[in-house]
Amino acid sequence: MRPDRVRVVARREYLSRVKTKGFWLATIALPVFVVAVGVLPGLLISKTKISQRIVVVDAVGGLGERLVAELGEMESPLGDSTAGLVATLEAAAADATAQREALDRRVLDGEIDAWIWIDPEGLAANQVEYHAESVSNFLTQGLIERSISRAVRLHRLTAAGHDPAAIDELVRSVGLETVRVSPEGSRAEGAEAGIILAWVLFFLLYMMLVIYGQQVMIGVIEEKTSRIVEVIVSTTRPFELMMGKLCGICLVALTQLGIWLATLVAVTLPGVVSAMAWIPEGVTVPTVPLAVLVHFVLHFLFGFFLFSAIYAAIGSAFNNVQEAQQFASVLVVFLVAPIFLFWTVLNDPDSTVSVVTSLVPLFTPLLMLLRIAVKMPPAWQILLGYALTAAATWATIWVGARVYRIGILMYGKKPTLAELGRWIRYA
Amino acid sequence: MNPSLELRAVRKTFGALVAVDEISLAAEPGTIFGLLGPNGAGKTTTIRMIMDILAPDSGEVRFFGAPRGADLLDRVGYLPEERGLYRRMTVVDHLAFFGELHGMQRRDSRRPIGEWLERVGLAEWGERRVEELSKGMQQKVQLVGTVLHDPDVIVLDEPFSGLDPINQGLFKDLLAEYKARGKTILFSTHVMEQAEKLCDRICLISKGRAVLSGELAAIKSEFGGRTYRVEASGDLERLEGIGGVGSVLRQDGSVRLVLEPDAEPSRVLAEMVGFLEVREFRSAEPELEEIFISAVRDAA
Repeated sequence: MRPDRVRVVARREYLSRVKTKGFWLATIALPVFVVAVGVLPGLLISKTKISQRIVVVDAVGGLGERLVAELGEMESPLGDSTAGLVATLEAAAADATAQREALDRRVLDGEIDAWIWIDPEGLAANQVEYHAESVSNFLTQGLIERSISRAVRLHRLTAAGHDPAAIDELVRSVGLETVRVSPEGSRAEGAEAGIILAWVLFFLLYMMLVIYGQQVMIGVIEEKTSRIVEVIVSTTRPFELMMGKLCGICLVALTQLGIWLATLVAVTLPGVVSAMAWIPEGVTVPTVPLAVLVHFVLHFLFGFFLFSAIYAAIGSAFNNVQEAQQFASVLVVFLVAPIFLFWTVLNDPDSTVSVVTSLVPLFTPLLMLLRIAVKMPPAWQILLGYALTAAATWATIWVGARVYRIGILMYGKKPTLAELGRWIRYA
Repeated sequence: MNPSLELRAVRKTFGALVAVDEISLAAEPGTIFGLLGPNGAGKTTTIRMIMDILAPDSGEVRFFGAPRGADLLDRVGYLPEERGLYRRMTVVDHLAFFGELHGMQRRDSRRPIGEWLERVGLAEWGERRVEELSKGMQQKVQLVGTVLHDPDVIVLDEPFSGLDPINQGLFKDLLAEYKARGKTILFSTHVMEQAEKLCDRICLISKGRAVLSGELAAIKSEFGGRTYRVEASGDLERLEGIGGVGSVLRQDGSVRLVLEPDAEPSRVLAEMVGFLEVREFRSAEPELEEIFISAVRDAA
């Protein structure tokens, strides 16, 4: 192999990709997308006002007043304003059916938003009716449900002769303060924050492996269908061409990753974090330890060459993207399988299942990284993972190069699996 | 002097098919060598083995008197039959990339690229993307890419197929110029007229085997004594049945015959007179097409 030729091919590959608008759009789009999907909905919901005019009809007696009081002092855990919630109590009429019809009409006329119906039969079955035009305002309903439960609980306790205030003190629920222990020292960190970090790193890696692997495949097909490949392989060995292509595209990915990480570091600087008022209080933004970052990049490198060598081989063997996609979907199975193991590994990163699956070469990049993000595994396991993946990567490059060498000059019909096997065996 | 390009008994099989069967040839500096044959004869396979794109099963390819190596291939310019360019690259970037593939430094390629683009009339198009160019312009870019690094050997596979007339002229001028500069050119074609006008030496291939090779002038004079022009009427189909007749070619009302090497012209004529009314029977300048047909017959 002549390194200068690999460099020439890689350079072309890199520049022709980084110079496109598409690259920069994708680079900017991902962080924007993450913010949009992850943060905006929460932001929007928490800023909505709960404004409802509710009529409470109590056919039991004594419970309605309590409920109206509860609804009045209801507090939203998200800190939203509940000022718009107005509850009024109306006495139960003798003719329940007529009263219910009248209430429905008032809802339809827009005079009130909802009505709540409490009667002995329902209460015995622990049910209270809520009638409204829209019943999908789950946040508001959740709050009302809690208010009703409290009101009913207090009502029943009082009826049983207990002091509601004393009971209230005794049954207060307990919160779990999560503290993450690591060699660098313990620090309080929300459990959500840890999961989010693992989730983000895991999916970022998954996405990059799939997207850049596909780019390798599409690039190879392009070279093949535009017939430029024959000019290139007359001066450059197919192996040099393939390695140049992989290196070039890998550098594109690393460039993109570098931009994202720089952005992330900038965003998580203490000054910036405090400026971001929208982050709910009590949630610590997890900082990514340097060691995890290094492992992330290493796992990306191994994963990229592991899968992209096969993607290159698939691209070379077929004549158009559609044909190749069908075959590539087999490959995606190996990338998707770790997603099914995500919760298993996250929940118990040291279990036998977690350890064994994270050492299967095709799964190692994603699963070992996940374990590292959750809880640093023993060094020997990490090293063994790297060693096995390196061996597997060598194997896929070897096999990939052999298919590639034949495939890029083979036009016409779609090769069968048996033919692909023969290509690998050709000297 | 060592030939710039030499094939020694090169053979290539694909499964049961013998694509190229022990072909040998040698091209000297300052010559244009034609690799001729119908489609499917094995021309492209032979050229791909010359360019080390396919490995021969046996035999050897030599450049400049030495076994071929990657460094020697840098001194070769190659234009495949199926050619393409990266559509989204600019013309200058693309040519610089071609140069680099042949071991040229980027900064060294800037000047020759400018000169070449000037010469082929694309000076204004250097910074445009390849996809913005017309097909004819792209062919020029491919040609420039082939010769940018000033190769000593140029290998062209069916260079004239799909070319517009202007580019055909450009190619021919270029071949003549390179020949005058002492470079070696090998090209393949199935169009015999082109080869006839351009080549110094030829190798005729049929079904993977070389049926005739040598200097074009010598081949023509050898076949000269065997080619006859016949003006006759009657059952012309029966001409092929006469013993000693190699090939029969009808041409604007007359018939051209190429006799087998050991045939007696007078005996052929005598037999012909038996069933045809012959008005004229005279020796003619052979055409490559006829030579090829009879050479294939002779070999069979």
